[in-house]
Amino acid sequence: MAKNITIFTTNTCAYCVQVKKWLTTKGLTYEEVNLDQHPERQAEALEISGAYTVPVTVVTKQDDSKEVIVGFNLAKLAPAVVA
Amino acid sequence: MDANKLYDVIIVGAGPAALSAAIYTTREDIDTLLFERGVPGGLAAVTDWVDNYPGFPDGLSGLDLADGLRKQAERFGAVIELGEVTAIKDMGDHKVLETTSGDVKTRSVLLATGSDYKKIGVPGEQEYYARGVHYCATCDGAFYRDKRIVVVGGGNSAVQEAMFLTRFASHIDLLVRSDHFRASDVLQKDLQKHADKITVHFNTTTDEIVAEDGKTVSKVVGTDKTTGQKVEFETNGVFVFVGLEPNTQLLKETPVRLDEIGFILTDEHLQTSMPGVFAAGDVRSGATMQIASATGEGATAALKLREYLEGQNHPVQN
Repeated sequence: MAKNITIFTTNTCAYCVQVKKWLTTKGLTYEEVNLDQHPERQAEALEISGAYTVPVTVVTKQDDSKEVIVGFNLAKLAPAVVA
Repeated sequence: MDANKLYDVIIVGAGPAALSAAIYTTREDIDTLLFERGVPGGLAAVTDWVDNYPGFPDGLSGLDLADGLRKQAERFGAVIELGEVTAIKDMGDHKVLETTSGDVKTRSVLLATGSDYKKIGVPGEQEYYARGVHYCATCDGAFYRDKRIVVVGGGNSAVQEAMFLTRFASHIDLLVRSDHFRASDVLQKDLQKHADKITVHFNTTTDEIVAEDGKTVSKVVGTDKTTGQKVEFETNGVFVFVGLEPNTQLLKETPVRLDEIGFILTDEHLQTSMPGVFAAGDVRSGATMQIASATGEGATAALKLREYLEGQNHPVQN
């Protein structure tokens, strides 16, 4: 199970809503960084993902390794949060 | 999803047509399962603002409209499975759908897979996808605060999304291949209010997206069709809205007939050439690509599905 989950989002991003909803249905908690409210953290999201897009989900695992999932990608997100 | 169950209808997609159909079928106790590979609401959910959907005098955000449709369908018992249908097999009196969640059986199918934004197919487009080339303004626009943007296209989506992007960008060059807009008159009038930020370039093709450092998009090279001269637009990012292409990849091995562009052909009952398989919304040949039309088609398809199910005399055993 993931130790920590952070999601970079914006107010208007439908895929961000979908990621948050999916995590909630799985009973997982997360920290949300809304880039409309915190534009100063945009560079951080870009550095982590290498992409100018949201959602960016950072899953920190029990061994403190991190997995980054760009977009609403269940094929990557689902195994990342249980590993 | 219950792999041992025989569903009455499986709806492929969860956009406006699909969710409207689900509202109708579930209200009539027709056992309904929806499959969505992306986001419920489809392209409507990633559209900034919807001004022409009846019943909302002030307009509403695409995200709110999508959420309302989803909640309404779920209130009547619709279940949305997150996954992708990869094939449809006709077993005579029922169908088997191969999905990323496993095989599932159904008496009928509604294809409401919608469409995605077309690519322009120029050098740089694929290489710099999500790193300067985008197809979703509401997802990615926030990364272009105080930066220059090029928007490609001349239809409703291009004009609507260019106006949305003015809340972030310092300047937008709107490249229109034709000598006129395909966008509605109302949107064209709205666009004039943004003349301080948006410069329209008619008769201008988009030929190449360039990142001079090999990493960050820096310019778009096009052609002014009136002079034949190359033109360049300095930019930090490119948003492409040049039309739609149907999501019909799952139909490759089926007898479902498509038109010459790839949209699904149906009869007047919205049934495809594969009995028991119906289609509605943007993926259907002849669709008008309007959310209001899609919801109407979804309702029609639900009623036609009910007629089909009532006419089926030989349901298989669960």
